[in-house]
Amino acid sequence: MPLLEVQNLQKTYRLGRVSVPVLRGASLSVEEGEFVAVLGASGSGKSTLLHLIGGLDRPDRAESVIRFQGESIYGMSAGGLDRYRARTVGFVFQFYHLLPELNVLQNVMIASMVRHGFAFSARRTGVRARATGLLEAFGLGSRLRHRPAELSGGERQRVAIARALMNEPRLLLADEPTGNLDRKTGDAILDALGRIRAESRQTVIMVTHDAHVAARADRVVKLEDGCVVAEHSRPLV
Amino acid sequence: MLGQDLVGVSSIHSTPVYQILLTRKYLTSKIMPLLAAIAVVLCTAMVLITWSVMGGFLKNLVKSGRTMIGDVAIVWPNVGFAHYEDLIEMLEADPMIEAACPMIESYGLAHLPGDRTELVVIKGVDGPSFDRVTGYAETLYWKPLTAPHPKDKQQRDWRNRSHGLWEQKYRDGLGLKEYDANTDRQVGAAVLGIEVSGYNIRELWGGYTPGVVVVPQTDGTTRDVQVLMFDETITLNLLALDGSGRTVDTKTRKIPVANEFQSGLYDIDKQTVIVNLDVVQDMLNMDQAERIDPDGVDDPFRVVIDPLTGLESLGAGPAMLIDPARVTTVLVRGVDSEGDPRLLAERCREIYAKFAAKHARVPPAENIRISTWEDQNRTLISAVKKETGLVLFIFSFISLTAVILVLAIFWSMVSEKTKDVGVLRSIGASRSGVAMIWISYGLAIGLMGSLLGGALAYAIVLNINPIHDWMGEALGLTIWDPRVYYFVEIPNEVESDKAVIVMLGGVLSSVVGAMIPAIRAACLSPVRALRFE
Ligand SMILES: Nc1ncnc2c1ncn2[C@@H]1O[C@H](COP(=O)(O)OP(=O)(O)O)[C@@H](O)[C@H]1O
Ligand SMILES: [Mg+2]
Repeated sequence: MPLLEVQNLQKTYRLGRVSVPVLRGASLSVEEGEFVAVLGASGSGKSTLLHLIGGLDRPDRAESVIRFQGESIYGMSAGGLDRYRARTVGFVFQFYHLLPELNVLQNVMIASMVRHGFAFSARRTGVRARATGLLEAFGLGSRLRHRPAELSGGERQRVAIARALMNEPRLLLADEPTGNLDRKTGDAILDALGRIRAESRQTVIMVTHDAHVAARADRVVKLEDGCVVAEHSRPLV
Repeated sequence: MLGQDLVGVSSIHSTPVYQILLTRKYLTSKIMPLLAAIAVVLCTAMVLITWSVMGGFLKNLVKSGRTMIGDVAIVWPNVGFAHYEDLIEMLEADPMIEAACPMIESYGLAHLPGDRTELVVIKGVDGPSFDRVTGYAETLYWKPLTAPHPKDKQQRDWRNRSHGLWEQKYRDGLGLKEYDANTDRQVGAAVLGIEVSGYNIRELWGGYTPGVVVVPQTDGTTRDVQVLMFDETITLNLLALDGSGRTVDTKTRKIPVANEFQSGLYDIDKQTVIVNLDVVQDMLNMDQAERIDPDGVDDPFRVVIDPLTGLESLGAGPAMLIDPARVTTVLVRGVDSEGDPRLLAERCREIYAKFAAKHARVPPAENIRISTWEDQNRTLISAVKKETGLVLFIFSFISLTAVILVLAIFWSMVSEKTKDVGVLRSIGASRSGVAMIWISYGLAIGLMGSLLGGALAYAIVLNINPIHDWMGEALGLTIWDPRVYYFVEIPNEVESDKAVIVMLGGVLSSVVGAMIPAIRAACLSPVRALRFE
């Protein structure tokens, strides 16, 4: 059984009387430990797809199916979906989306605070050690107390990745993680992702409009006209 | 930066829930919540100050209404009842009762200097016992002052000088007697309410100065004469009734004025004249006397008791009757001044029943009127209650302002923090969890604002009189004009239960104000929030 199964995914946005069909029956299947890149032009619905997979948005129709380990995520209750986002998936966004009032360490730890609620205080020490460890692994060991505004784009994105990994998600969802970075910094980010892959066989779905970036993945699929149209695989690294 | 770092580290160590961490961060890094907190501070302080001063004012009013009437009054109006000394003795023997005193209440016409005539309420009392029941001595106006009147900064108060004179006036006022040089005897005197004569001028500093009248002279000129009421004589006209309530005649008598009193209630000070009980009893034929029994028949075998010797003899001639002295009222003061006056009234009724059983010709226990100070001040108290209601009504509007301020400020903060809401949802925060950030934020601002507001109000109310004086001197503002408000000082007491209510109200207002923005944050679609620019 694949880790993630997407079938016939449909999503239409409505702007007044105009309907904008974005996804028109996209299907995708991802195995545990795979690194899949979704390549598509800007506006092709990549972010929409990722939001749906991550349980942030709901598809239009009942025929649309997203199964995680065989369980339909849109059959879950609101609380179940919250837990799915807290435990199972980790998001990395193009614009980092760090909380500006928190420092680097807090930005990473907050993922665990949200997940555990009141039980967090009992785990504080362990969580702190893990967050520090992740940040050190990304070369941010000396920046723990800095605010996001004091970091460069590449550094911010590494903090965001650390936050996404904080709760050891089964599925990492990256939405153009290098889209806002120059080529060199972007490559460093991709190297970091690659390292994580190599160390923990982390399942990753990354969307990008950049074929060069997509080439880092084990498998690249294309999103065109609201459907996943072409796939080509290359052997696992 | 260093301080911020320390805060950063400590907060992650001491906060169990992300909402509290974020609340703290938003509080310390934004100017908007500070504005919201200031709004809460000001609203809380404003409400608490107004309520305290207003409440103190109303309390003073009720307290003033209580002076001169004791806790419970036993009344048989106009005609009065006899053997009251026995009743007073019975009352004072009761452990619930501190003191009791006789009084005659009547109406009369007082002819004042300058040919003024006023319709007044006459209270015939025995000064010392009346004082024990009502604290009457406190209200006497002309007396030596131990300290100058609080607002009389320039010491214009007459009572600061000639202490010997005021000492004498005070004693005369309390005893309701004055030395009469013509007869070389102490004669019964009157004490007027300070506003009765109209000759006393209320000063800006809160006290009185005797006023001036223009007196035409025989040679056509005029002369200014200062009217010292406490040295004047008034002429009193009373309507005398006999023991069965029939009008006997109108009595007129000149009575020296010993002093004046200020109860604190304008109506009482304007209308009341306190007169020596003996004088009133005499004028109203309520003193003890042997009289012809109007219903009696000539009875040669009637036993007559000589009032002077107490000897009995067989009388002849018209039927005679010893009419004992009467009063219309016995005032009672309870031991516990804060206690429920209705219990005391109940007690008085029981005692009166025993008294009525002992004496044949007193009004029956079922008919006697026994009323508490609350009953007698019913109109005043209901007015006070209405006013309190009005004040509370206004307060709810003021609180609404606080709610709306917090709402507006939080609304704009939620807009500003939309992206954070999206991020939190993407890492698994629930709708209610996100709402809780804003609610706990509102709670924090409410708590801070209310505590500071409470402290501010406390500081201001405590020092309200110095502040008011300073405003008067520095800015020429006199809001609390003693000539208008009748109480010289602004009430400066904060009741703790009021403070708690207002502060809880402040917290509640903030939470309610935060509620709608919180619900808005909870309803934000996480995807839209993330796409929000
Ligand atoms: N909330 C929305 N309302 C209307 N149209 C939307 C909304 N969100 C996205 N779209 C439209 O859907 C299309 C796909 O958007 P998106 O998934 O962000 O594409 P991509 O990430 O591939 O650039 C775009 O044309 C975008 O304008
Ligand atoms: Mg996109």
